[in-house]
Amino acid sequence: MLEINHLHSGYNKIKVLEDINIQVPDGKIVVVIGRNGAGKSTLLNTISGLVKISSGSIMLDGEKLPPTPHRIVARGITQIPEGRRVFPSLTIEENLIMGGYLATASEIQKRTLEVFETFPILKERFHQQAGTLSGGEQQMLAMGRGMMANPRILLLDEPSLGLAPLIFTQVFELVQQLNEERNMTIVLVEQNASIALNMADYAYVLEDGKIVIEGTGKDLVVDPRVKAAYLGGVVEE
Amino acid sequence: MDLIEIFQQVINGLSRGAIYALIAVGFAIIVNVLKFSNFAHGGVLGISAYAGYLASSQFNLSFIPVVLIGMVTGAIVAVLVEFIAFRWIRMQKGQLVYFFVTSVTMLMLLEQILVIRFGSFFDTYPYDLIKVKFINIGELSISVTYLISLAVTIVAFGLLIYVFKKTKIGIAIRAASNDMTTTSLMGINTGMVIIAAFVVSGMMGGISGVLFGISTSLSPQIGQVVVKGFIASVLGGLGSLTGVAVAAVALGLIEVFLVSTIGSGYSPVVIFALMIAFLLLRPQGFAGVSFTDKA
Ligand SMILES: Nc1ncnc2c1ncn2[C@@H]1O[C@H](COP(=O)(O)OP(=O)(O)OP(=O)(O)O)[C@@H](O)[C@H]1O
Ligand SMILES: [Mg+2]
Repeated sequence: MLEINHLHSGYNKIKVLEDINIQVPDGKIVVVIGRNGAGKSTLLNTISGLVKISSGSIMLDGEKLPPTPHRIVARGITQIPEGRRVFPSLTIEENLIMGGYLATASEIQKRTLEVFETFPILKERFHQQAGTLSGGEQQMLAMGRGMMANPRILLLDEPSLGLAPLIFTQVFELVQQLNEERNMTIVLVEQNASIALNMADYAYVLEDGKIVIEGTGKDLVVDPRVKAAYLGGVVEE
Repeated sequence: MDLIEIFQQVINGLSRGAIYALIAVGFAIIVNVLKFSNFAHGGVLGISAYAGYLASSQFNLSFIPVVLIGMVTGAIVAVLVEFIAFRWIRMQKGQLVYFFVTSVTMLMLLEQILVIRFGSFFDTYPYDLIKVKFINIGELSISVTYLISLAVTIVAFGLLIYVFKKTKIGIAIRAASNDMTTTSLMGINTGMVIIAAFVVSGMMGGISGVLFGISTSLSPQIGQVVVKGFIASVLGGLGSLTGVAVAAVALGLIEVFLVSTIGSGYSPVVIFALMIAFLLLRPQGFAGVSFTDKA
């Protein structure tokens, strides 16, 4: 269980998050929605240790998270950052090896095969530099690279950003599959609210650095405030 | 110049270029990872050159051990420089210009250490470090020192390619050159990656220092040859180590030819003019493809 209690964080003098309280039970999908600049990435980056906590705490199984990003990954929390962030001059293979940095050679091999099963295109391009991939392919690589860590908790920052509908359906299916088949806990940050809320066990709405609405995914999809502000009045799809 | 002479100059140029390539790549590794021009690399090179000199003149060690001592010294000094100078700026997330100024200061400091210990004279490696001086093939006589420099450089590059392509830490150094923050999100300790980068860079600097010392002479200012590494890494297109190495070899060849035709006084002038002309024509350098993230 990941617990965020009275969290405040930000950048130097800029306060972004204020008094955030979020619970992420094991094996659940928790979704955070919010507009541009609401603080969604700041939230995930604070969990990952990239942004300093000013006050409050983030606990995993009742224990404080370590202070550095790499040790947080070692505790089983991996983030797939916003905007893919693949290593452009490394090959697909090397990107995947980096994703599995903390795993043994044989685990890396096994997981690479799993990634290929999910994204066959990555197998075809194995020795190609990641910078030569299309945007959608890069998102697949970013997902695959995240899977290589086989984390207990996967943090996803707007994986649908800039993807064609067909591909992002695939991405969301994969997220659900990782949750169901591997019991992976998911924290998903999205602007594509309707799809995200429909798969959420629990969801939070972040506005201007504060949680303003929370509830089960089902509740939030029908919540009039959410409908008006995030689902464009009518439910799309 | 007749054909024989030209051939000899090519060998000289290649060997000089090979040493520049070692210097340039050692320099470029740190540029890639930390994004600043690390002139302290010259100091690392200088200290290692003198370490090799002591090993050969005081302890009568032979060529290979002398090169290895230079390599190890380079790695140690480079890491020390990181610990003493750069680490604090990194911790405080200082601006790049602070790194740059600090690196120049470290170069002067390391030079001064050499002046204090050895005086500001010229020294040379022992004459018999390389026993056979020339190989004669017909009219052609090729300097063995140059051939050995060339061979050592090739081995060093082989090692470097192995580390960067086949070892996890080597790939992590390249990943960190692309994107340090994301590297840390992979569970990689970026502090260790930076130290590893300094070790590899220092090893290259150490080897190049010994080779350069053997093929020329030693003075405490020997480290200033790092400027050649800087030029080559700019010409090569920062980011591509292959481009940097190619530019360095070209630089060595051009320099040797210029020195033998217009003399050593004018050749730096011509080289700087060529460098500026090249950068105007091809600002992205020799290699000049760098992938940026697609939005
Ligand atoms: N490195 C930074 N330094 C200073 N301020 C920052 C930094 N990163 C983000 N901010 C500020 O923090 C606030 C929240 O940004 P954040 O990136 O968390 O928003 P977001 O909800 O992820 O938005 P988006 O949907 O556009 O990705 C914004 O006002 C932003 O300007
Ligand atoms: Mg964001």
